[in-house]
Amino acid sequence: MRNLYLAGTAAVLLGAAAAAAASYTSDPQQSRLEFVGVQAGAEFKGVFHKFAVNVDFAPEALASSRIDVQIDMNSVDSLDKDRDTTIRGKDVFDVAHYPTAHYVTKSITKTAAGFSALGVLTLHGVTRDVPIEFQFAPGAAGAKLSGSAKLNRLDFGVGQGDWKSTETVGDAVKINFSLVLKPKG
Amino acid sequence: MPNQSPPTRYSAVAQGFHWLIAALIVVQFTLGWTAQFLPIGARKLERLDWHKSFGMTILTFAVLRLLWRLFHRPPELPAGMTAIEKTLARATHLLFYVLLFAMPLTGWMMSSAKNYSVSWFHQFTWPNLIGPNEQAFNLLRSTHDTLSWLLFALALLHILAALRHHFWNKDDVLKRMLPFTKSEKRT
Repeated sequence: MRNLYLAGTAAVLLGAAAAAAASYTSDPQQSRLEFVGVQAGAEFKGVFHKFAVNVDFAPEALASSRIDVQIDMNSVDSLDKDRDTTIRGKDVFDVAHYPTAHYVTKSITKTAAGFSALGVLTLHGVTRDVPIEFQFAPGAAGAKLSGSAKLNRLDFGVGQGDWKSTETVGDAVKINFSLVLKPKG
Repeated sequence: MPNQSPPTRYSAVAQGFHWLIAALIVVQFTLGWTAQFLPIGARKLERLDWHKSFGMTILTFAVLRLLWRLFHRPPELPAGMTAIEKTLARATHLLFYVLLFAMPLTGWMMSSAKNYSVSWFHQFTWPNLIGPNEQAFNLLRSTHDTLSWLLFALALLHILAALRHHFWNKDDVLKRMLPFTKSEKRT
């Protein structure tokens, strides 16, 4: 009887632990959000310097885990001012009308390599499903969340006029992220 | 190794390198000089994309041509030329070789400095020579531009000299670089 009681308590405690995903925000200095596009046949990389991250995550509580990223599109930096001006302009990101992009996961599942999530990305005023693959590595002072995604820029209407052509700028864009998470509060 | 006696005509390989690279340089001037008047945009990007692919083609041919040239002797300059003329002719040709490398290399470095990697006809991407650097880009662009004018002037001198040899001196200097012709025996 006593053993049964102990087992029951343990089960309740485990259940409580499983349900609670820890809340994190990112350290902007150490976190990186990068995109890789193809331009004139050659890859080029750019980053976003400003983005806000809110993560609720525990590997054993995936149902209540969630990744939420808000990106300041104006903070785009492809290491060339001319290109950045073009990217911010109305034919590409059109930051005047769409200053932020937003990604939030709907569901997260465990995979052999780590985790995969299905989420929705709102970019350039268009909302579409975008899956991501990521790893979660807990550390002493928080955790590291790193991974990648692939999307087609034209699905979001990114590239109007001459920039619609995939000959000069490829449709496929890779996203790489490496987020250093710190506990909230 | 160089032959014992110099040939009287440029070989088919030498002629091939000469005319192929000459034609590519004409293409390069057309693409490069017209691209700079285009506003920043997809059309400019596309034109420079071709310019870079042809430029890397020229650089590849320049390497092969230089290697080939190191082991093959060109025909000798006509005996009638003065010492100054011969020096001028050799200096012109040497400078051509320098520019054959300097033009594509400064262009390649320009692209690297601006973080626009160079593709070869969308088949593969050449590695960046230097990291992104705006100051370096500005310096390289003005160098590339100045060298293009130097190359243009040099080509003009080269063409005028070839015509002078042919019509004025009536020697075989032009003919021995022309395919499908025969050079008369030099005296």
